[in-house]
Amino acid sequence: MTTLSQASSVSMRAEQTRLERRYAHLGLLLIAPTVLIFSAVIVYPLISAIYMSLFSIFTPTLEGKWVGVDNYVQLLSASEFWWSLLNNLIWTVGTLTLQIVFGIGMALVLHQNIWFRSLARSLILFPYFISTVVAVLVWKWLFNDLYGILNHLMMSAGLIDMPIDYLGDMPNAMISVILVGAWKYFPFVVIAVLARLQSIPDQLYEAAKIDGAGAVARFFDVTLPQLREVLVVIVMLRAIWDFKEFDLIFLLTGGGPIISTQTLPLMVYKEAFALNQLGMASAYAVVMMAIMLFFMIVYIRKTREKSA
Amino acid sequence: MTNSRSKTPNLTRRGALKGLAVGTAAAALPFGAFAQQKQITLRWWSPQGSPAQVEAYKFQIAKFEALNPGIKVVFEASSDEGYAAQLAAAFSSGQVPDIVTHLPSFSVASYYSKGLVEPFDDVIKAIGADDFYPGANDVFKAPDGRYIGTGIGNSAANMLWLRKDLMQKAGITKAPETWDELRAAAQSMQGGGIYGAPLPYGRNSMTSLVFIGFIHQAGGQVFTPDLQVAIDSPETRKALEFYGSMRKLCPPGAANYSWGESLTAFVSGATATGLYAGRVLANVVKQNPSIADQITCVTYPTISKDVAPWTFNDFPSVFIPAQSKNKEAAKAFAAFLFNPEGYIKQLLAAPGHVLPVLKSIGSNPQYLEDPIIKKYNAEVQLMSSAAAGGFNLGYESKKHKSNAKGGEVVASGAIATLVQRVVLNGDNVDAALSDTAKTIEGIMKS
Repeated sequence: MTTLSQASSVSMRAEQTRLERRYAHLGLLLIAPTVLIFSAVIVYPLISAIYMSLFSIFTPTLEGKWVGVDNYVQLLSASEFWWSLLNNLIWTVGTLTLQIVFGIGMALVLHQNIWFRSLARSLILFPYFISTVVAVLVWKWLFNDLYGILNHLMMSAGLIDMPIDYLGDMPNAMISVILVGAWKYFPFVVIAVLARLQSIPDQLYEAAKIDGAGAVARFFDVTLPQLREVLVVIVMLRAIWDFKEFDLIFLLTGGGPIISTQTLPLMVYKEAFALNQLGMASAYAVVMMAIMLFFMIVYIRKTREKSA
Repeated sequence: MTNSRSKTPNLTRRGALKGLAVGTAAAALPFGAFAQQKQITLRWWSPQGSPAQVEAYKFQIAKFEALNPGIKVVFEASSDEGYAAQLAAAFSSGQVPDIVTHLPSFSVASYYSKGLVEPFDDVIKAIGADDFYPGANDVFKAPDGRYIGTGIGNSAANMLWLRKDLMQKAGITKAPETWDELRAAAQSMQGGGIYGAPLPYGRNSMTSLVFIGFIHQAGGQVFTPDLQVAIDSPETRKALEFYGSMRKLCPPGAANYSWGESLTAFVSGATATGLYAGRVLANVVKQNPSIADQITCVTYPTISKDVAPWTFNDFPSVFIPAQSKNKEAAKAFAAFLFNPEGYIKQLLAAPGHVLPVLKSIGSNPQYLEDPIIKKYNAEVQLMSSAAAGGFNLGYESKKHKSNAKGGEVVASGAIATLVQRVVLNGDNVDAALSDTAKTIEGIMKS
């Protein structure tokens, strides 16, 4: 009897193992397309970029020679890299801060019961949907020294005697780029924050009111803590996107004057297509990725610590 | 990490036989007839893409397609500031256009030196080598003796444009010939919302190309005739000094100016002088006719009367990328672009801007009877002669060797950065010049 039950138990375990194996195989089969696609669009380009960064490659012909880590040594010893990194950080922090401030502010306004709220909610998305090229062209005309409406209005109002050079002078160029970036991307913050605002329970505000909290106190003690999770995601996503922003800055200033608004993505472009050094451009791209990774890890850890 | 795609393609036996058959057929047929053998789409790139020019291109394409039913031509506009990057990407991906026009000769020389351009001798022969103005193709002759392309036109890109009415008002009786005279004239004409000049100080190719002209107008050079870097010189320092002194006579936005902004500043009447090629004529007539009777041009002044004018001619080119899969059809189309009816239409799309390179066109009544060419005959004649004796960074003087790195030096932005550092940033001239010389030396060695 014991032998029989043992045999039955062994047989059941074997059946279970076979089933587990089959499930495991099925699992592998189901996950395979994702892994393959992930490898094709993420892993391969990443390894390829790292591999290319170890060569000196002439872009038009793709002919090159092995240089090892020379590109990285050259890059890290170039002052232009450090200036570009600094510009990158100024741009990212500046534009991101404004996007968050404007975004939350506008979301709070659009959360109120105002006239034409639906229309306003639609229109607010306009800068985000418009093509960057078109947006830049419009802003360039607004900023134009000879025909721009900004200079015209300021001169008409007697605020200035001579037109301001918004894009060719520092710090004007960096300020202009940051402002245009904030204008272009703050609707993203509005959408995300507005969605969260609509799901905050009214009881929290009622309780705060009963406790004597004013509008400002309710914002800091109720709204902001409730927005915390969504803001963590917004800041992370927008920081990544802003850090690698290329078209808006390139089209507005081309990185000038001199290299005052030149960020790392512009350096990648310059190395790859102006100087035809694809290997060096890859090295810049890899370093950019490493920097972003570092900041993201620090950011995620800090926010986790605060949550805990 | 070597991609030898453009040099040693993988040749199978079948491929070789096919190629031989196609090649034999092509050799036996005139260019026009070749295209009828198979369905082909030619991609044509050009940075000259104003609406009127695109209309003329469409006319040429339609005529060519009617004669060659097997060929379709697609025009794709590029830009003066963007073509280098676009072509670099095209060459590296193998997705090249079949024909490229209006790029400066020095860029074509750069590409040819890397094996990226198809020799053009047979196209020049098909157009008629004797019909070109004497020496028109010299700039396109490679060190190996072959032609790398040909000029689709000539241009005098750094003419000094003047407003006669403003000169008269300021009591200026003759066009400036020296820098001192130019600065004084610009100073006296500036005022009432009008600036003296629209010189470019942007981080772009116009600033580089224009400032190379100023170095020569000071009696200097970027390279010695045997192509040693010579930019760090007293003449460049004088050019920087003068260029810096002109900043206060230019609009505030000139720190970001390229060709378009500089042209518009003069055409709109915002500046008393201009620096541009012949496109000014058509634009003034169309966009600001009130000053059409008041404009004229001269060669750009030099540091003193002892230094001869140096006209920047980018020698707008036609060439065929070596990776094109339709070379014979592209050659047929390249030759067809010089067909008088279409070529004149193309030239007159921007009268006086791209000047003819063929003698038969320069004397063709259809070309000469154009109202703008007739009205500004003196200016067009001056630009033609200045362009004929013009130079660029690939061909700095008649003594200079052809510089295959000219395109890369311009694309690197090293010279524009020098201007910005010294003029806008007030950097030490010696340090900035030394850095620029090192950058250019690095490019020459790469």
